[in-house]
Amino acid sequence: MASNQQQQPTEDMDSIQCVEVTSQVIMKITRNCQDELDKQLDPHVSGVLLGLINENKRVLEVTHCFPLMNSDTDESMEINREHMLEMERSLRSVNIDYQQVGFYQSTYLNTHCDRNFLDSVFDYLEEMNEAIAIIYDPLKTKLGHLSLRAFKLSSAAFNLYKAEKDFTAEMLRDNMVTYENLFQEIPVVVKNSSLTNVLLCELGHVQDTTSYFTLPTSSYLEKSMQLLLGGLDEINQDLLKINKYQKSVYKKQTDMMKYIQDRKEENDRMIREGLKPLPEEDVNELFKDPAPVGRLESLLSANRITSHCDMIEEHVKSGIGKLYLADSFMS
Amino acid sequence: EYGEFQTFQHYFKQINLSKMAAEGRTVAPPVRKVIIHPVVLFNIVDSFERRNDNCKRVIGTLMGRYDKGVIYVTESFAVPHQETDEEVSMGMDYAMRISEMQKKVNTNMYTVGWYSSGIQINDYSSLIHSFYKVQFPSPVHLTLDTALKEQKMKINTHITLPIGVKNGTEGCIFTPVPHEIKGSEADQVCLKFFQGLKGTRKTPNFNDPEQIVHSCDDMMAQINVILGYVKQVSAGEIPMDKEIGRQLMEVVQSIPNLESDTITNMLNSHMQDLLAVEYLTYLTRQQLAIGARINQIL
Repeated sequence: MASNQQQQPTEDMDSIQCVEVTSQVIMKITRNCQDELDKQLDPHVSGVLLGLINENKRVLEVTHCFPLMNSDTDESMEINREHMLEMERSLRSVNIDYQQVGFYQSTYLNTHCDRNFLDSVFDYLEEMNEAIAIIYDPLKTKLGHLSLRAFKLSSAAFNLYKAEKDFTAEMLRDNMVTYENLFQEIPVVVKNSSLTNVLLCELGHVQDTTSYFTLPTSSYLEKSMQLLLGGLDEINQDLLKINKYQKSVYKKQTDMMKYIQDRKEENDRMIREGLKPLPEEDVNELFKDPAPVGRLESLLSANRITSHCDMIEEHVKSGIGKLYLADSFMS
Repeated sequence: EYGEFQTFQHYFKQINLSKMAAEGRTVAPPVRKVIIHPVVLFNIVDSFERRNDNCKRVIGTLMGRYDKGVIYVTESFAVPHQETDEEVSMGMDYAMRISEMQKKVNTNMYTVGWYSSGIQINDYSSLIHSFYKVQFPSPVHLTLDTALKEQKMKINTHITLPIGVKNGTEGCIFTPVPHEIKGSEADQVCLKFFQGLKGTRKTPNFNDPEQIVHSCDDMMAQINVILGYVKQVSAGEIPMDKEIGRQLMEVVQSIPNLESDTITNMLNSHMQDLLAVEYLTYLTRQQLAIGARINQIL
């Protein structure tokens, strides 16, 4: 274990230490995700983040954002691309930073972590070394906590994904990529300019109407458990596939040995009878290697399951406290 | 090209105002109130901070919708413009283009007015206002005082009403309209968090137990206030109010009246559920970690 940690790749000294977001961007993301959630047209809302990199403080500043349409069809992807180009050109004339520094996405109970997400993060990272993905959780905001997290692929995972789109176990082992260090989380910090602070004072005291005392009997816990079970099922199926693969590899080995043995016996018999021995054949061509199982999906599932576990744990901790409170009220 | 400005004379020559009047486009619907989403104000402040050095004020378009006498302003964007002592010009093509793009993403929105920083309303304002009148018959003009006169950032909303003599000198006057800044619950959560920053930087993920303690303190304070009021009423210092008394009765009666055994049973079973769930998640996590380590070793 200790030697494992020593071999892990050290963080690049030039990498981003934290992400600074202005409150304008947060309000825009919140409004966009909340609207779509209410309309229930599309659970996955995404948009582009614009900003700049502050080299001295090793901080990525996000100063603007705009939403994109759901890009399921090719047509909407084309529209999105045109939209992005148009926005880039227009924002230049009003002095808004036009450099794309990443994208934001809304999530439903941490289910965002799938192949599409990985592809998007990879695409943005290819264009810009410091691109991040901001995940916004609208359900957490309903509970009263603003939840905004920034992720990027760790450098080891990025190099691996660049080389090969689907991993095998050996590649994962060689590059020290596990489900834990697949994504790297970067702390998000909210920073406002002075004029914005004046505006906030002007808006007056905001009445927070969320109730923090709701007991943990809500469907939030149930849904999280369901998703956890779903993730475990997926990993189980992956395990079965891996088992099958290993069995087939073993079977191939034994078949090969048996064939070589048979051949030898055959040749010996022929030599004894005085006939010409059969020509040597390339054994490897006869027995094809079975296709290795891709490990990417199981990595993502493991990642998802861990985040579900984290969520449930948090929920349970506060739930126990609230139960004691309720007890004191009723007795 | 996006940097081009057009003067207003040129623009009004292009469109045929009388044709529009004939189509009934200039009939102005009544506007009684303006409801502004907080994002709009943040956008305005941001575009003011990014203005060019030679500009004294910034203008931009407001987008939203109109419904039964109320204008809902939900989005805004800055429009490049130039103002000198002699003339004013703005990028009208730019404004039209961006509003079309916004409409593609959010089909329910259309231009409903314009904003400018600084509280001054002058001749240029009425020119710009007439441009927006073409797109929406009764545009609202929002001003945000970024110069902070009177130590406050005042927000004003105006519409124009025609004054003057028919077939004689006609003009329009900017009259104020009541406005309200309203966001959804999620926006309120965000705003409360921003206000709690008090000028420092902070990470948004905060601690649930801390939050509960905080809410408990709030509730204790509120209960103390109510207790003080009740004590004063029973001592006869303040005349009693039937409405408050009724509400207090409702609050006290809302606690379910069950036997203590039932309550303890319910609480215990609930607690056991939660503990079981926590144990399961702990187990799952350890299992995954073991699996990953084995993969590294083998």
